Amino acid sequence: MRITNNMITAKYIRSLGTLSYDLDRLNTQVASGRSFMKSSENTSAAVKAYRVRRDLSKAESYQSNIDHAESFLTNTESSLFHMNELVQTAKERISVGLNGTTTKNERVIVATEIRNLQNQLLQTLNTNASEIHLFGGTNTDLPPFEVSGGKLLYNTIDLDTLVSGSAQEAELLGDSLYVDIGLNAQFDPLTGQADKSTVFEYSIPGLRITGSGTTSINGTDTSNNLYNLLGEIATEFESDTFSTTRMNDLFGHFSDVSVNVINTLTIVGSKTSYLEFMTERLETRTLNLQENQLALEAADPAKAIIHFESQKMAYTAALKMGTSIIQPSIFDYIM
Amino acid sequence: MIPTFMAYQIAGRAMSSSRANIDVTGNNIANVNTPGYTRQRVDLNSISSSGYTEKYSIPKTTTGFGVEIQNISQIRDPFLDIRFRNQNAENGTYDVLLAGLSDLENIFDEADTEGLQSELSNFQEQLQIFSQTPTSKDVSLIVRTAAQKVTQIMNVYARQTEEVRAQQIYDLDHVIIQNSFNAKVKNIADLNLQIRDELIHGSTPNELFDQRNTLIDELSGLVNIKVTALPEKISENLTIENLNISIYDSATSGYLGIVSNGQYNTLSVADTGDSVEIRMSSSFGPFDGKDISANFSEGSIKGYLDLINGKGAYADPLANENTFHGTMYYKSVTDTLAANFASLFNDLNTDAAGTVKPLFVAAEGTAITAGNIRISDAWLSDSAYITTTTSDLTGTGGEGDNILRMISGMNSDIAFTSDPTDPTSQVFFTGTFAEYTSGLIAELSLEVELNQNFSETAATVLSNLSFSRESISGVSLDEEGINLMAYQKSYQAAARYFTALDEAVDIIINKMGLVGR
Repeated sequence: MRITNNMITAKYIRSLGTLSYDLDRLNTQVASGRSFMKSSENTSAAVKAYRVRRDLSKAESYQSNIDHAESFLTNTESSLFHMNELVQTAKERISVGLNGTTTKNERVIVATEIRNLQNQLLQTLNTNASEIHLFGGTNTDLPPFEVSGGKLLYNTIDLDTLVSGSAQEAELLGDSLYVDIGLNAQFDPLTGQADKSTVFEYSIPGLRITGSGTTSINGTDTSNNLYNLLGEIATEFESDTFSTTRMNDLFGHFSDVSVNVINTLTIVGSKTSYLEFMTERLETRTLNLQENQLALEAADPAKAIIHFESQKMAYTAALKMGTSIIQPSIFDYIM
Repeated sequence: MIPTFMAYQIAGRAMSSSRANIDVTGNNIANVNTPGYTRQRVDLNSISSSGYTEKYSIPKTTTGFGVEIQNISQIRDPFLDIRFRNQNAENGTYDVLLAGLSDLENIFDEADTEGLQSELSNFQEQLQIFSQTPTSKDVSLIVRTAAQKVTQIMNVYARQTEEVRAQQIYDLDHVIIQNSFNAKVKNIADLNLQIRDELIHGSTPNELFDQRNTLIDELSGLVNIKVTALPEKISENLTIENLNISIYDSATSGYLGIVSNGQYNTLSVADTGDSVEIRMSSSFGPFDGKDISANFSEGSIKGYLDLINGKGAYADPLANENTFHGTMYYKSVTDTLAANFASLFNDLNTDAAGTVKPLFVAAEGTAITAGNIRISDAWLSDSAYITTTTSDLTGTGGEGDNILRMISGMNSDIAFTSDPTDPTSQVFFTGTFAEYTSGLIAELSLEVELNQNFSETAATVLSNLSFSRESISGVSLDEEGINLMAYQKSYQAAARYFTALDEAVDIIINKMGLVGR
């Protein structure tokens, strides 16, 4: 084959082009720390990397939701502790009223104390954090509890009128705030309602703490909710016809109902520890995803630099060769 | 024996043939860097007189009459020309496709930038935060902003795709057709006439051949051509060849003449909205004013047509539309995405009372596309227009069930139909929005990768072919240097022959018959 000068030059220019292109690519890899700058350089890795990015973004959202639920639960817990203290104090005062007092004046003092506690309970039930009422279920804007005619209303429903086991009660008990924490949130295709087992419920409907409905004690209908019950107890203490038997009944009922507060605290505790578990899981997942992302997208600096160096050598060698290839011809030796 | 003075002629022709060789070598060396130059060679013939043709000849032994310069010809392999031109057409296609697809990739790719995928993720993140406090006005503002960014990036995609397409149309029309193709066919036809004149007058216009070949080489990058030569008898002993060029489709074996000796047909580009046509304005042949887009099977014009007209899966098979994944395809793909995105969210935004409250709209009365999707005015004026709950239990909207429904909608598989309002329309893809978007990028980047490989292979083959051609037709300085020395020596030898003859004659004239003087 005849080899002409133009062929040598053209080939040389071409290989220099290829070499400097590779050099530039490796240089970009080292400088950017990325193994590819465009998807077309490594399509399969890019597609996987996009998936990892999405999963990371989701994990971030779930973590944000968990953090939100956790702080909400912390607020709930401290309010519940406060309520528990109120209940304990009330019990103490009732015991004092039952055992240590004989005169009406003394009973009235106890009654006043109890009414005080009753008001504090109401305030605590209406606690709000960042303008969200903790115990209103999905009603977060308005104070969930209000008193009308001495009766406690929860989301405008008179708690005493709630029948135990009724649909309305079930609906109110199930009405709580929830977030998606990565349990694959599902919706009932018929009712369109969220499947509560696939989301995380983090608020406690207030009526779960107070109790609802009425119970007949020795023929007298007695309210089941803490607030009304405290009212009835105070009224009994103030009453001219104070009956120790009735008070004992009320006290016993109060003790029974107040267990709700402790129960709720237990629920809150278990919810919090579940969130901690989920946080740990999410952290592991995020870590795995980040490792994955690095493996897919990041350039191994050592490898990239070694490749870069050897490419540079090839480039320099080619340049050196060029000066010796292009110059000589027969004309350098004629004459 | 030959006559005495005839020998002078032999010496003279020997010297002039060496001179001619030296001149041609010089011409070759001078043109070593001229693009398209084909090395030339002096065609030499030895001449003799044959006794049989002479009237009163007697059979006898004669010496030859020396050398004769017959022609100065080019060293060229026509078969390599054909292969080179076919390959050049292929190369032209891939180069254009690669450049166009890379432009598209720059729009959609998110390897190193943030685009639709990250905006969709961001929108979803904001919805999650919104689900924590659905009654919060400020978070609803952020959600609306995130949604707005999704629509804006779709608008950007649509606009940039349209820009790429407009650029391709401009390039095809002004750069390729008007300034390159039309100019080249005209030049080739002009050269054809000049060459014909020269040939009729018996000369060999090597330089014109080179010019014409260079033009044909360039033309072969634009379109799939076939070059044919038609012999024309000028006189009893002179037949010359006229050159014709056609657009040749090897699949259909269809010829479409573009140059016929001195005549040529030009092309023009007609933009009919969602496709462009290439029309021929003809000075010969039956194609005047007709759309000949379907005749291009290779070359950069074909590449441009694919990029501009390619509708991929959206092509109507009955209308014989271009099925390449070109700009029109990616435009439709983003339109489908926008329409389905809007339809999902608008459907989900129905409030508890069943009133449809559209979040995403297009201009009045038009279908939603990537280019025109925007946030509805109602949502723009009230960020809380987004329905957070469909449950009216407490009536305060604290329940974020509908936000979760939207998140779930974004994460669940939906069928991407060509018309979301018509569930029976063609389904292009089933999956989530994120899968659709990354599928779009994957498809595009695979296309780029593929064409990159094609283009590299084609370029390697082309460069090998051009080396083969160069190996035959190119000027090698070493060779020319050696030839120069050789011809110099043969010139010296011829001159020496002349001297020897001269001395012999001198002996006859001046020294003969002088015995004893």
